[in-house]
Amino acid sequence: MSKLNQKVDSHDCLIQIVRNNLVVSNESKYINCSALEESGSINLNIEVLESDIATRINLQALRDSYINLNIEISLLKGARLEVLDESEYSKGSEIKINSELKQGSSFELYRLNKFNQSTENKYYHTCNLSRNCVFKDFNFTNGSKQMTNETIISLAHEHAKYIGSGVVITNSTNCNNTLKINHIAPSAISDCSFKAVSRGNAAVTFNGKISVDENCSNTVSNQISKGLIMDEESKVNLIPKLEINNDDVVCSHGAASGKPDENVLFYLTSRGISRKDAEKIYIQGFLGEYIYKIDNAQMQAKAKQFISQNA
Amino acid sequence: MLEIKKLSVSVEKNKILDNLDLTIGSGEVHAIMGPNGSGKSTIAHTLAGNPNYNVDSGQALFNGKDLFELDPSERSLEGLFLAFQYPIELPGVSNASYLKQILNVHRKYEGKDPIDAAEFLKILKEKSNRLNIPMEMHSRFVNTGFSGGEKKKNEVLQMDFLNPSLVIMDETDSGLDVDALRQTSEAVNQLRSSDRSFIIITHYLRLLEYIEPDYVHVFQDGKIVESGDKKLAHKIDKEGYAT
Repeated sequence: MSKLNQKVDSHDCLIQIVRNNLVVSNESKYINCSALEESGSINLNIEVLESDIATRINLQALRDSYINLNIEISLLKGARLEVLDESEYSKGSEIKINSELKQGSSFELYRLNKFNQSTENKYYHTCNLSRNCVFKDFNFTNGSKQMTNETIISLAHEHAKYIGSGVVITNSTNCNNTLKINHIAPSAISDCSFKAVSRGNAAVTFNGKISVDENCSNTVSNQISKGLIMDEESKVNLIPKLEINNDDVVCSHGAASGKPDENVLFYLTSRGISRKDAEKIYIQGFLGEYIYKIDNAQMQAKAKQFISQNA
Repeated sequence: MLEIKKLSVSVEKNKILDNLDLTIGSGEVHAIMGPNGSGKSTIAHTLAGNPNYNVDSGQALFNGKDLFELDPSERSLEGLFLAFQYPIELPGVSNASYLKQILNVHRKYEGKDPIDAAEFLKILKEKSNRLNIPMEMHSRFVNTGFSGGEKKKNEVLQMDFLNPSLVIMDETDSGLDVDALRQTSEAVNQLRSSDRSFIIITHYLRLLEYIEPDYVHVFQDGKIVESGDKKLAHKIDKEGYAT
């Protein structure tokens, strides 16, 4: 068992999970971070205190073994946190995040994971948003042999806002994605988009459920899911569900999947681009529409690069 | 430069081109006119390699190479360019990035290094100015939300970038207002040279007033029924195809 409990000292914080221990670098008066490892499971507690300046955490899982990680995130009133995880999880992973956003806090989560194709990876995130909170949740993955993504959002108080975007580029994988948005309080906003590219006998499923309680007037909730199927053997199954129990809401959902438009591919090849590269550009375009939802320039560049490398 | 011999083409088992013969020499400008459904766009897409068009018989030799042995990208790299009647939208890909990619594909084929970013920007500005294209357009997605005129100008801009030896313009004048037609035509005229040939497909005389053809051919039922010089276009404009 190893235990770390230290104050970290700047707004940029590096948390590394390495071979024999956990390293939390940098001290700050704005963040309390502790890590406890027990029976192969790592428990990480992150508490961000109120600050005018956002704290940025770079999470790096460098250990060459299956990683079982439980993260508790607490953003105190007005706190701002940005988390970036670009880990490859070379032997697979199971990550559970439980985040609690207090009034006026802001959380940005960027997961750009290029997984080892032969591994199994599971990701579960439960997030509770208080009044005037914003959670921007961007997930980019190339998929793995077996992959599960499950996110449950509770918009628990007025004017809470969730912006979620999932991008999956799969290759010979089974990838199950679930996104549940629970509008529990009035005047909350959710805007979710999911895009999947399925190829090489891959199967992608997206279950997107929005529920709006009776008392939730002035709710705005949009959900769109799209799948691009690159070959005959691959599948995309999009299942949007809406449960609306209040008439004073603006809600929309859309789902569409299909093969690439041959007219577009011909247009690209007629300019000298090979069929293979034309398909790559097509995928980049299909996914690229969502990149522009990321208003953080640095993260937008990383997302572009991820898509370019994995398309 | 291009020699089409006894070409027959069908789309979904409907015969569109019927034993077509057409020879285009280096530096020549050929206009193809004809009523709707006469096969004008079919010849354009067949030469460019659109898989929806089936070559039933015949041959097309492009600089001595059998065009139908090449895939669409190889035809482009060999110097054939089709300016689309309905340019395709490509959401998610910026126009600047797209133009740079297609330019670099051709540069690679010619054994050159990818273009330097500053040099690309310089050329982009210069070529865009010639067509009165605002630089802002290049940060938008390819043809997405472009007006009809912007799309057609973007086709001519791509042509300018790729430096082809055979240009097929499929109703480039449709959707262009008077000023845009003039600017586009001027840009095309600047690209005319003794080693670049054009096939200009159009319904109307007005484009040919700007880009003067060496030959005019009238298509009907997948065949050339009449050929002549520019006077033939004037005759069609006055009398129509019915006579």
